[in-house]
Amino acid sequence: MNDRIRRIPAVALIAGALALMPISGSAQNSAKSSDSSTRDRWLHVRVDNPESKDEMVRVNIPLELAEKILPTIDKDKLHNGKVRVDHFDCNGVDFHALMNAVRDTKDGEFVTVQSKEQDVRVAKQNNYFLVHVLDKEDHKHSAVEVKIPMKVVDALFSAGKDEVDLVAGLHALALQGDTELVSVKDHDQTVRVWLDSKNVSD
Amino acid sequence: MILVAKMALAFTGTIAAAGMYTFHDGIAQVQVDDNHGTHIHIWAPAAIVPIAMHVVPKRELHKFPHEAQQAIPMLRVLAKELENYPNSEFVEVRDSDTHVRVRTVGSKIVVDVVDPENKVHVACPMAMLQDMVDSLKDLQEDDDSGPTGPTV
Repeated sequence: MNDRIRRIPAVALIAGALALMPISGSAQNSAKSSDSSTRDRWLHVRVDNPESKDEMVRVNIPLELAEKILPTIDKDKLHNGKVRVDHFDCNGVDFHALMNAVRDTKDGEFVTVQSKEQDVRVAKQNNYFLVHVLDKEDHKHSAVEVKIPMKVVDALFSAGKDEVDLVAGLHALALQGDTELVSVKDHDQTVRVWLDSKNVSD
Repeated sequence: MILVAKMALAFTGTIAAAGMYTFHDGIAQVQVDDNHGTHIHIWAPAAIVPIAMHVVPKRELHKFPHEAQQAIPMLRVLAKELENYPNSEFVEVRDSDTHVRVRTVGSKIVVDVVDPENKVHVACPMAMLQDMVDSLKDLQEDDDSGPTGPTV
């Protein structure tokens, strides 16, 4: 009888622990799921050689990880997640003023060049900054397409006159939906940079 | 008889506790095979590494290249944050004769390099990486706060 009485607290403790286990488990799961919603944005880089299936590069970086690591790097012009760019003007053009003008203007094409060698198109469309270059000189045409959300462009140039804020840019990028940012195609290689929620490349 | 049983129980318990402590961080694994007949296969409990770092003479640890010391803050964040990404592939590079992969498998960071001459496989528990980087960080902080001069 005494033995039974002595066992009661131990049994109660084990029963309590077992009863609480699913609750704490589900609490952990819900915490994990809310965490994962901010954690599951991945930036992918993929380089392929169309002529050889043996050559390829895949880089998959979680944006949150990149946001946390960048400020720890203190090397050359990269400090505290920002890149210092000396003389941030292109042949006298104030780059920041230009970006501000692009942000404030309505959708439209800013630059259109069509020549025998190449076509170039720079535009703003649906809050994306678009650059399209088609090189026609090459036997097999090469094409570059860049599509950057304007919010990311704003964030990148939000730090100061001579700085590019990479962390702010990544943070703004993490808030975007799945999107293809860069696509380069020529006869040597194809390059893709895109954003999605998968931790592996396609 | 009961005394022997109790001693056996204590012995077994001690062994079990020591084993659990030794292996609680997992196993670090290094395998190097080359075409010249070198085969190095090391399996070591991850808990040993931070302990070993305490017995390594400080002057040896100071031989760490400056670039590596600069990378300590980044490695600290990386070691901590990688735990949030189990079973993820971070880098894969392949050309006609070389294949490099950096990924996490469960709680380990795994690096594989295969080329025509060598085959290298390193699997390092992230807890071990964290302990190691923390030890190096402590060493760096000791240097910053301590008197300047040659280390003994």
